[in-house]
Amino acid sequence: MPLAREAATTRWHARASSISETVGQLTRIWGTAAEEEATAEADDASSRIKGRMRTSVLTLVVIALRPETAERAMSIVNALASRHPSRAIVVSPGDPDGPTTFDAHIYAACHLSPTSHAEVCTEEIFLKTGGELSQHLSTVIAPLLIHDLPVVLWWPDDPPFGSKHYRDLADMCDTLLVDSGSFRDDGRHGLKGLLETVAAGHAVNDIGWARLGLWRELLASLFDHPLLIAELPGVRHLRLDVARPGTTMRISKAACFGGWLAALLGWTVSRPVRETGGDRFAGEFRVGRRTVTVEFRPVGAGSGPNVPGTGSLMRVDLELMRGRAQTRARVTRQADHLLATADWNGAQVARRAGRLEPFEETPFLAEALDRTMQDRVFQMALDKAVELVGQK
Amino acid sequence: MTATRPARPKPAPSRTAVGTTRATKSRDALHIYRDESEARPDNPLRTGTRLERIPAPCIVVIFGATGDLAQRKILPAIYNLRRAGLLPPESAVLGFSRRPLSDDAYRELCRKAVAEHSRVKLEDGIWDDFVEGVHYQQGEFGDPPDFRGLEERLEQIDDERGTHGNRLYYLATPPAAYTDIVANLGKVGLDRQREGWARVVIEKPFGHDLESARQLNDAVMRVFDESQVYRIDHYLGKETVRNLLVFRFGNGIFEPLWNRRYVDHVQITVGEDLGIEGRGEFYEQAGASRDILQNHMLQLLSLVCMEPPIAFEADALRDEKVRVLRAIDPRWTEARVRAQVVRGQYQAGWSADHKVPGYREEPEIAPASRVETFVALKLEVQNWRWADVPFYLRTGKRLPKRASEIAIQFKQPPLMLFRDGTTNPEPNLLAMRIQPDEGILLRFAAKVPELGLDVRSVNMDFTYGSSFMRDAPEAYETLLLDAMLGDASLFTRADEVEAAWSIVSPIIETWREWDREVEAGEQPTKEERAGTLADVDGGEGICFYEAGTWGPEAADKLIEHDGRRWRRV
Repeated sequence: MPLAREAATTRWHARASSISETVGQLTRIWGTAAEEEATAEADDASSRIKGRMRTSVLTLVVIALRPETAERAMSIVNALASRHPSRAIVVSPGDPDGPTTFDAHIYAACHLSPTSHAEVCTEEIFLKTGGELSQHLSTVIAPLLIHDLPVVLWWPDDPPFGSKHYRDLADMCDTLLVDSGSFRDDGRHGLKGLLETVAAGHAVNDIGWARLGLWRELLASLFDHPLLIAELPGVRHLRLDVARPGTTMRISKAACFGGWLAALLGWTVSRPVRETGGDRFAGEFRVGRRTVTVEFRPVGAGSGPNVPGTGSLMRVDLELMRGRAQTRARVTRQADHLLATADWNGAQVARRAGRLEPFEETPFLAEALDRTMQDRVFQMALDKAVELVGQK
Repeated sequence: MTATRPARPKPAPSRTAVGTTRATKSRDALHIYRDESEARPDNPLRTGTRLERIPAPCIVVIFGATGDLAQRKILPAIYNLRRAGLLPPESAVLGFSRRPLSDDAYRELCRKAVAEHSRVKLEDGIWDDFVEGVHYQQGEFGDPPDFRGLEERLEQIDDERGTHGNRLYYLATPPAAYTDIVANLGKVGLDRQREGWARVVIEKPFGHDLESARQLNDAVMRVFDESQVYRIDHYLGKETVRNLLVFRFGNGIFEPLWNRRYVDHVQITVGEDLGIEGRGEFYEQAGASRDILQNHMLQLLSLVCMEPPIAFEADALRDEKVRVLRAIDPRWTEARVRAQVVRGQYQAGWSADHKVPGYREEPEIAPASRVETFVALKLEVQNWRWADVPFYLRTGKRLPKRASEIAIQFKQPPLMLFRDGTTNPEPNLLAMRIQPDEGILLRFAAKVPELGLDVRSVNMDFTYGSSFMRDAPEAYETLLLDAMLGDASLFTRADEVEAAWSIVSPIIETWREWDREVEAGEQPTKEERAGTLADVDGGEGICFYEAGTWGPEAADKLIEHDGRRWRRV
């Protein structure tokens, strides 16, 4: 099959109907790219291109069960190409009961780096499989992994934790990337599955957890205040307002946030959260002889272009009491930012604000790809969160 | 005249490596490993967050607030730190300078400076928030009453913004003002650390020779404790320089090779294509040895040569760096200077595509100036690790390109099995590029893929730009944040500065002696010139080179004499 080169963008495209053909097409593309570079240099000594490198810092494997997910994944992968040059393999498994099919689109692109005269080249492989092959994705993907580079598996939908299919893919990868905010139903089973993945020794990056980053930072920053840090051991009540635009009350993010506080402040779960009517959940932590009550409350998600998704945090409220001092620390979602305030005996002593990232995955994915190490705090928080939702 | 100073509170005892305590206000205290953790209690919720290390709110007092350095580097750096959420919102800036300006006028000046020089675009929302904390105070650096006014203003800002008495004094003035500023800060008690901390950031040059460096250190340390002093060398904030430590001590495979057994020699190049760019008056006083060699190059040398520190902690690191400098023989006889140092000055030539004048034709330069715009020298670090490994250093202006790198040239394999091939493999090389295209290159031999056994050198090249694809922070941002956090690892300690001067000062002294002889019409004797580089420079002790070339011929002779050659950078 001929290579079609899009000259203006230094982009190549090829198609293949088998793994070996896919590998062959990749080799052909890079051979052509190297020849073109040599010709350009010979023709023009002052050629701007001083080196054409296939630059990869990782292999990114995306499992996109729905066509719209595949489309979204491809556009995110494209947006990330310059910051995280990688071989991206987006797999869209089709009907397992249909005929066995394999169709690969191979894209390669070279971008001229703005700072140096070297071109940075990346690859994307879009694979559609059908029939029995869809049940053996790990064997399809293995030959396409770049030797010796970390493999990141991104599962944008709800991964089938516990299935062999999932385990095989997870075992093949160094880091698993999921979004606990999009786990099915109330998200409890997903959290449990995620903890099992962590316990099996896999490094996990959770986009849902990353979205809590600003919430955590703002709440933490309130307690940088010398007056408030002394109050921190006196937490009595934690209330989390959770967006419920539809009928589902998803508590995975609220549980992770509560789990985070519990892990860092040394609380143990004494009563896991239970529904108390009206989709409210209530539970209890214990620290020493003191009780910390916890409550998840559903609230409307508002309207407008940036409606938070199901399960997003809307407000965190922390009540603290020590001696006669009463403190309230809260973080509230505003239109496009979070506002954190702390009152000490009725007087506001600290106020912070932070801008929210737009509700898209790209920045979080970029951040997650930067961190290939295990996030210890996340693991601790997840452990407590699973206990808090009564799945341990 | 003796100024009366308010009684100083007893300095807080610092914890030493062996658990004893002693006052730190003396040179003796330099080698104590301090507990540098902030005084405020730890916030457990900060664990693992992006901003785990966030400084306490403070006021950055910029002396020389309207000057070039403040406008080009310091203000954009503070703004970018604030923008990145790395500074608490209470943080404030107080400009202090002679020019009469209102707060609003200074804010406008700052806006222009940040808009022009910041690496990221100025955003109105963030700017409006930032600028509320920017203030200005007019004053003379040598006038104690103005410092009383400063003290009152600082207390007022503390109350308004909640900066808890934390102050970072940034001396962005000409060096002549340093002693006055520091003395006056002391006179009004602004050096004291009562409620919060007080630190002073001093820009290079730290003195113009060993004696003046000692005097400056004495003047500073009469007021501040060494632990409060941050001598900034922005080279140490550059990503590759910081990475040098990670590269050496974060990898297990390089350190075993990092010694005289495997290393043939080391080349350190700091090249600039620019001329003196209107800084004639400064350059006539400084020259390349004071401007680059004494600080940037010797800092790079000490990072390359240092032993692994016992901890990644400021004084442990600096102890090792200073040991390297002390292992360089500071006894520069005239013969040694003639044989191992090349002093050069550029003449008219072509820089890239335009014709440029010679140094002596530049504005503010004496027509018969003998100031060096280029210096190349050979040094040896006499310790067990490096004895007999030559270090070749060169720096200059109007070289063909702006390029800085450290190149470690390894020895040839003991037996050249593949000598019969059409090309001889070059020895292995590890080059660390500092600018531009920050990165690391490893050169090794590989077989050419065809019949026969031809061997060719190939490069394995890591560039920061293509592996991380993100903007590195400006060196000033990194270093300012470190100073606010109280991490002095990448700042120069008093003894380091003096050790570096003790290497460079005698060379400059020798040159001055030659200059006096030349002015008196004396020429070196035949004996003095024998076996030295003097036969290339005509005996005058300064060699000229055409702008746009890699320095004078004598620099090539310096290294070729040992059977080696400069790398083509």
